[in-house]
Amino acid sequence: MFTTVTLSLLDGFLGTLRLFALTLLFSLPLGLIISFGSMSRSVILRVPIRFIIWVIRGTPLMLQLLVIFYGPGIFLGRNLWGSGSGGRFMAALVAFVINYACYFSEIFRGGIQSISKGQYEAAAVLGLTRTQTFFKIILLQVIKRIVPPVSNEVITLVKDTSLARVIAFYEIIWEGERFIKSSGIIWPLFYTGAFYLIFSGLLTLMFGFIEKKLDYFR
Amino acid sequence: MAILEVKDIKKNFGNVEILKGISFDMEKGQTLSILGSSGSGKTTLLRCLNFLEIPDDGEITVNGNVLFDGSCGNLSDSELNKSRLHFGMVFQQFNLFPQYTALENVTLAPELLDKNRNRQDILEEGKVLLEKMGLSDRMNNYPHQLSGGQQQRVAIARALALKPDILCFDEPTSALDPELTGEVLKVIKELAEQHTTMIIVTHEIEFARNVSDEILFMDGGFIVERGAPAQVIDNPENERTKKFLSSIHRKA
Ligand SMILES: Nc1ncnc2c1ncn2[C@@H]1O[C@H](COP(=O)(O)OP(=O)(O)O)[C@@H](O)[C@H]1O
Ligand SMILES: [Mg+2]
Repeated sequence: MFTTVTLSLLDGFLGTLRLFALTLLFSLPLGLIISFGSMSRSVILRVPIRFIIWVIRGTPLMLQLLVIFYGPGIFLGRNLWGSGSGGRFMAALVAFVINYACYFSEIFRGGIQSISKGQYEAAAVLGLTRTQTFFKIILLQVIKRIVPPVSNEVITLVKDTSLARVIAFYEIIWEGERFIKSSGIIWPLFYTGAFYLIFSGLLTLMFGFIEKKLDYFR
Repeated sequence: MAILEVKDIKKNFGNVEILKGISFDMEKGQTLSILGSSGSGKTTLLRCLNFLEIPDDGEITVNGNVLFDGSCGNLSDSELNKSRLHFGMVFQQFNLFPQYTALENVTLAPELLDKNRNRQDILEEGKVLLEKMGLSDRMNNYPHQLSGGQQQRVAIARALALKPDILCFDEPTSALDPELTGEVLKVIKELAEQHTTMIIVTHEIEFARNVSDEILFMDGGFIVERGAPAQVIDNPENERTKKFLSSIHRKA
């Protein structure tokens, strides 16, 4: 029984991992772009972007999932996502990417804005171009400062993926819950916790390692 | 011929006029100190020379080349970068790059500005500069491992590495603990003795008297007095200069 459950849960966990990995892959760069927009000198760019960030950060991810999944059907009169599991995955991914990009963008903005003006000015009087200044001087300092908040966000994401089941996205808790109905046993549901713990433990180790690597300067 | 000619520089922030027409010139190899009370526009003047602020009006000429001419309007980024290299700048807060060692701080810009230059030469020059600053045993330390005085000396070496025509200092010892100012003033004095062309904004009156060929006193966005140290510091004519100097002496 234990092996059967483990194998099933592993299968569900693959769904979790897929959503987790693809969300990170798209939301990190999108977050950087959004952060530049939210710091833009142009009001036409900055204000709408800050508004969107406010909405996304101010409403539950669960609600955003529902709106993105059912919204097109209701407002456009046509189900953009299709009816299969692939469609549900796409909808979940889009909701997660938008949500996490907004959170990351605020972390990036905080990191970029925390670099003192003196760093830019020192680079300028040495004749460095803007690109050289960003890549050679600013970027690593920003990365160092954002590693702890990004690591928090990433670990939250591992657990947030379970929210996607409101639109019937197949992941590990879904799989665990199935055993209650099919076999009348509840321990597989608790067992899912071990998967989360091990995975977030690995991530914690990895981020700890990165933090240590960047410890050589202040 | 003067190495630097500054003519009628004006700078506003919003509608407040901070520099109201600054003119002076200096010869190659000279050390010029600028004194003046806080808020008189000294930092703004140095920032204009380094194009960290663009003056609203006036002319800046180095070695006979007009770098800025108030009427010529917008300067492009690459023109700005080229003009900046005539000046070096040492900041009050050092502004070293924390992720680079002392030596890397000094060699970074020379390496980036001229990719064709031999890296080994740049490295050697950087080491020589840091040795001159008395930091031969600190080259591979990161800024946070250095005292304020050592950091400021690295910053001076970093500025010298680009061989600027004129090296500017904005209160180089104001952020330092009193016991660390001496080591920084000492290397600046050595530079003066080797005829490095320098403009030094400072509150260290005795130091200014010792190293300067000439002293400017600024007040309210103007240069109100100018002359040899003995004249400006010991026999000031302007009322504001007298008041400033007596307030400094009282503090000391
Ligand atoms: N970026 C700025 N924006 C607005 N006001 C400024 C700015 N920089 C300096 N000032 C003002 O200009 C005046 C002169 O400043 P500064 O050049 O720093 O004087 P000093 O270095 O002689 O103390 C001060 O009143 C200061 O508040
Ligand atoms: Mg100042």
